Amino acid sequence: MTQAEIKLCSLLLQEHFGEIVEKIGVHLIRTGSQPLRVIAHDTGTSLDQVKKALCVLIQHNLVIYQVHKRGVVEYEAQCSRVLRMLRYPRYIYTAKTLYSDTGELIVEELLLNGKMTMSAVVKKVADRLTETMEDGKTMDYAEVSNTFVRLADTHFVQRCPWVPATENSDPGPLPLAPILVISEKDMYLVPKLSLIGKGKRRRSSDEDAAGEPKAKRPKHNRDNKEPIPDDGIYWQANLDRFHQHFRDQAIVSAVANRMDQTSSEIVRTMLRMSEITTPSTAPFTQPLSSNEIFRSLPVGYNISKQVLDQYLTLLADDPLEFVGKSGDSGGGMYVINLHKALGSLATATLESVVQERFGSRCARIFRLVLQKKHLEQKQVEDFAMIPAKEAKDMLYKMLSGNFISLQEIPKTPDHAPSRTFYLYTVNILSAARMLLHRCYKSIANLIERRQFETKENKRLLEKSQRVEAIIASMQATGAEDAQLQEIEEMITVPERQQLETLKRNVNKLDASEIQVDETIFLLESYIESTMKRQ
Amino acid sequence: MAGNKGRGRAAYTFNIEAVGFGRGDKLPDVALKPPPLFPDTDYKPVPLKAGEGEDYMLALKQELRETMKRMPYYIETPEEKQDIERYSKRYMKVYKEEWIPDWRRLPREMMPRKKCKKGPKSEKAKDTGKGASLTNTADVLKKIEELEKRGDGEKSDEENEEKEGSKEKSKEGDEEEDDDAAEQEEYDEEEQEEENDYINSYFEDGDDFGADSDDNMDEATY
Repeated sequence: MTQAEIKLCSLLLQEHFGEIVEKIGVHLIRTGSQPLRVIAHDTGTSLDQVKKALCVLIQHNLVIYQVHKRGVVEYEAQCSRVLRMLRYPRYIYTAKTLYSDTGELIVEELLLNGKMTMSAVVKKVADRLTETMEDGKTMDYAEVSNTFVRLADTHFVQRCPWVPATENSDPGPLPLAPILVISEKDMYLVPKLSLIGKGKRRRSSDEDAAGEPKAKRPKHNRDNKEPIPDDGIYWQANLDRFHQHFRDQAIVSAVANRMDQTSSEIVRTMLRMSEITTPSTAPFTQPLSSNEIFRSLPVGYNISKQVLDQYLTLLADDPLEFVGKSGDSGGGMYVINLHKALGSLATATLESVVQERFGSRCARIFRLVLQKKHLEQKQVEDFAMIPAKEAKDMLYKMLSGNFISLQEIPKTPDHAPSRTFYLYTVNILSAARMLLHRCYKSIANLIERRQFETKENKRLLEKSQRVEAIIASMQATGAEDAQLQEIEEMITVPERQQLETLKRNVNKLDASEIQVDETIFLLESYIESTMKRQ
Repeated sequence: MAGNKGRGRAAYTFNIEAVGFGRGDKLPDVALKPPPLFPDTDYKPVPLKAGEGEDYMLALKQELRETMKRMPYYIETPEEKQDIERYSKRYMKVYKEEWIPDWRRLPREMMPRKKCKKGPKSEKAKDTGKGASLTNTADVLKKIEELEKRGDGEKSDEENEEKEGSKEKSKEGDEEEDDDAAEQEEYDEEEQEEENDYINSYFEDGDDFGADSDDNMDEATY
């Protein structure tokens, strides 16, 4: 794990789970798998706290455990899974676009809690939805269950591996750690539950006024201990399926940008047809015949068969090679080249980064070297039609930024520099890796800056929160406008401006984080797809 | 070697033309320090994407951040004691729901071992009790053998029963200690591990025996 990744993981864990979990998590990421006591000893935290932290991390699928020989249980952190925490808003928003509010809340609950049983999810989501509905209306459990089943059918949520039930009742020596297994066919099997009920609105008597002692609150949830019908069957969000969806979205929008709306719809149809049949890591989808595609086009689209064929031919002939023709049966068999598509997307990202960082002439040289694969210094100047001095300068800027690399081709076996060709080339994989590393660093910087800004203005933020609380309570007890005005004036105008600036900055930093994460997704997908093919 | 143009004369070992500098051109400066922390950029960055989706995700992100802080998974760092206890602190505490992990899915060592904190007296009593009971077990076996040989039926029966009774009690006691889950479900956040010099790793298998009772060991070695 690179330093940048570790730093980013540390910031993410700290923001979401607190410092103790962060310390343990980062230690595990740095040192690999370790047993419990070694962790406690190396980090200097008490055994009790290490256990708590590990429980939290295991619950959220960030740490896995394994029993090694000699009866030692070792814990290992999944660094890449920690980095996924950046993408939670995107997952939740995707669920919203596909399955509306119910789906959104289901995915949100699953992501926030790591894993949950279906009944717990349904109950919580129904309660939350009921809160937002008008008075008198409640959300039925059945509706939430239906959405849950749909999510499971399209593989957006999956079951967690569980302890296989042992047949014999003889416990024997208890294993040190349960071995969790799951079979492929069980992963999306929804248990037959009859969840009957409606969401409960939180009664206003439960909401304490500021002064009341709140000691009774934590016990209140313990009262109803009904037996849970699907005890032990936990569900988690299936991040790979979301990634597949994002990838499909990226390809469709790329086609839409390059060609037109209709061709992007055709590509979208093809991708939808191959969703279940093609594993997400395959380099290209299963071949689809033109007739099938014609039948599966969305209902609103009435283009004739010939037009469809023309579009498909156009797509297959496009130099970007998103779509390829693999045969002629059934009116023409077409596949989508997933690996090539990801490669094109990654390359486009690199080009755009070069353009924004170094200027459009640099970008021209970059695209030239990409196209011609290997070029000498002189050839670059000639082909790009840029004066020698500037071309040299730009090439060196890009070289030091590691976007372009030098390839030596010796003429003699002794590699004498005066008798060696030096060719400029772009190694997409290593440039992508370099850019990915830079993205991690950027996000870490963004998070640090945001925390700094918030800390600087902490006093002011607290003051404004208190004022808001006072105003809210006064409005509830029915105060006049004049009094409210007076309270609002407690925050002076320059302070208000400061708060505005702070809010704007924090929003900008947050939005930047989300968008850098999109780039990270593209680059990671490309690198993963390339590594799988090697 | 051939090619040395003379001692001490700077000569490039490669064709300088190939790299792009003409002969006699001033070479660029050597970098003497690391690049600046906030380098100037020639081009301003492109504005961020704005749209309904982006706005929604932004709001979601900020909400999630707040929500996570209130979940039971967020473990607060214990604050150092302040000199003056503030009145407001008592009423500003945020009460979080307790979360109990599903122990069936976790390694056995994750379960908190509740050490009774009734006081040193009862601890010692428990220890001596356990120590005695377990020494009893070893004792009992030896005694049974002896008594069998002696053939003293009644007395041995009585003794056996007595000792078996205590043996069973001690076994139960052990099981109770082991099955923490059965008795206490509370994952007590206030629980602190006892600080002692004894290396706890000697007693890894769940028995609490011996962790505190090293002082009794002199009489138990058989």
